[in-house]
Amino acid sequence: MTEAFADTADLLDLVRESIFVRDLEGRILYWNKASEALYGFHRAAALGQDVATLLHTRYGVPLESITAQLHDTGRWEGEITRRTVSGEDRQIFARWSLRPSNTSGPATIVESGHDITGRKQAEQALGNSEYRYRNLFQAMAASFWELDFSAVGQMTRKLRAAGITDLHRHFSENPDIVREMIRQTRVVDVNDQSLALFGGGDKAVLLQSIEPFWPDASSMVYAESVVAALSRKPNYAAETRLRRLDGHEFDVLFTACFPPESLARGTLLVGVIDISARVRAQAALQKLQADFAHAARVSMLGELTASLAHEVNQPLAAIATNGEASLRWLGRPEPNLDEVNLLARRMVADARRAADIISRIRSMASRQVQEKSALPLKAVIEEALLFLRHEMQGQGVMVSLDLASDLPPTLGDRTQLQQVVVNLLLNAMQAMAQAGAARRMIAVTSRLSSPDTMQVTVEDSGPGIADAHRAQLFDSFFTTKDAGMGMGLAICRSIIEDHGGQIWVDAAAADGGARFSFTLPALSQG
Amino acid sequence: MDDRLISIIDDDESLRLALVGLVRSLGYRASGFASAEDFLNSGDIDASSCLITDIQMPGLSGIELKHLLVERHSPLPVIMITGRADPALRDKALASGAICLLKKPFEAAALLACIERALAA
Repeated sequence: MTEAFADTADLLDLVRESIFVRDLEGRILYWNKASEALYGFHRAAALGQDVATLLHTRYGVPLESITAQLHDTGRWEGEITRRTVSGEDRQIFARWSLRPSNTSGPATIVESGHDITGRKQAEQALGNSEYRYRNLFQAMAASFWELDFSAVGQMTRKLRAAGITDLHRHFSENPDIVREMIRQTRVVDVNDQSLALFGGGDKAVLLQSIEPFWPDASSMVYAESVVAALSRKPNYAAETRLRRLDGHEFDVLFTACFPPESLARGTLLVGVIDISARVRAQAALQKLQADFAHAARVSMLGELTASLAHEVNQPLAAIATNGEASLRWLGRPEPNLDEVNLLARRMVADARRAADIISRIRSMASRQVQEKSALPLKAVIEEALLFLRHEMQGQGVMVSLDLASDLPPTLGDRTQLQQVVVNLLLNAMQAMAQAGAARRMIAVTSRLSSPDTMQVTVEDSGPGIADAHRAQLFDSFFTTKDAGMGMGLAICRSIIEDHGGQIWVDAAAADGGARFSFTLPALSQG
Repeated sequence: MDDRLISIIDDDESLRLALVGLVRSLGYRASGFASAEDFLNSGDIDASSCLITDIQMPGLSGIELKHLLVERHSPLPVIMITGRADPALRDKALASGAICLLKKPFEAAALLACIERALAA
């Protein structure tokens, strides 16, 4: 039998496809080189063997239907599984041809086949991946949207063609164009969480323009995401407010993702996360911090009550005395009006002085919401010193100042920054008083420590900070004062950090006292 | 118009000027000093008939000044004024030999009475 195929054998051995011939019972009559390579059986081992047994053939469809088709049409092709000599299963795409019996011999079946295992595996992986993606998209806890923005793409191409290069600026200046882009962006698909978050009972309700979901105030965020997409950025994220179907607006983290394949199709993927709870928590935290800072200020005022009261009494006493003197001058047979005039002027000045002191106290005690404005640091420090002037005098504290007069302003809340300076000064005074220091000196300096940073330092001649305490100094509830609560420095730190600066205690000052410094960013003159 | 000189010491400028004005309105000559040291250096001790001084001041206090005057055997009568309500301070002030101790804010009539008492002594 082998000789019958000898002539074509060479030819068939050059063919890369596995080709073999078997009789109707399945016995292998011919086996080409490619078959050897595919199944690992040498010709000698294959010839005469039953192919189904040798190769453990498994069919995806019933063998009867295959056989029927083969006999009906003379052909069959399909995917089958076979095992190689090493025991490995391979997926084979096989084509069978029935060669009817003729003068040379009985009917035979010619099979050609090639290994599609790799391809099958890739298909499977892709199928799995798509399955996972579908699952993720559907079930994710974030709201996902697939948007069609091909119309927007056309609009931007027209703008580019019209010579607009700075899209960002063009959008800022033309909000109506942005609204139109929003109108023309359509929802292709959403996941379950989107329905839950945006209030749609049926998915179909959300498959429309995104316009109802975008409040006017959030338009620029949309514009920026378009600019990001067109600048070939991989993604874009921003906090903004979106709108439910029932009109209720809420805070979200909006993320858009622009995989190149999707962009080419004109779609992009959007994720929306509801951050209302977080925004509320942040607002509550800020209020709490403001309340704490206020409480600390009131506490400081409490400590200063005696000296503040004394300070207000001085101008009041002067006014009373001047008033009495005026009455006496007026009560003379010839009233001395020049003298009275002078005294009246002094009374007005004294009244103003009293009013200023009261105003400083009120400002320090105020509970108002933080208000940042451009502040000259020198003035803030000088006012803080003024606040404590009387107390310092009373304790015999000498202050030396080295304040740079050409510092740029800083963006800050006047009351809060004064609170920090007053707190540091008060700490210094109290430390020196507690230690019974004979020489009580505080040095306050301010300077530019870098082109955009200012540094203020408060150094005292007190006993200094013990090494053991240094690390805990700014912790809440840490105090070395006899009757301290330990919140002052913790609050100072939160105020300074909120202003974009740092506060720290230096290693021992020149003469063993404590040295505290804080920095504040210079307001860039834009 | 009385020719007698009354010296006034108070580190608070407004109050010092007001006291000088009041004493002058009472008909006396008055001169003001910002600190006990300034007064001591002025050479007016002997020329003064009466001294009105604040107690709480940076540097020498009013009470310390009175002790110094006593050491120098100065007969200068001293009226002390204070903003503090401290009873211990009151005792110290009177123990040092002050003719009067007035609490701020005081009425001109009270100061006048003290001055008359001091000048009579």
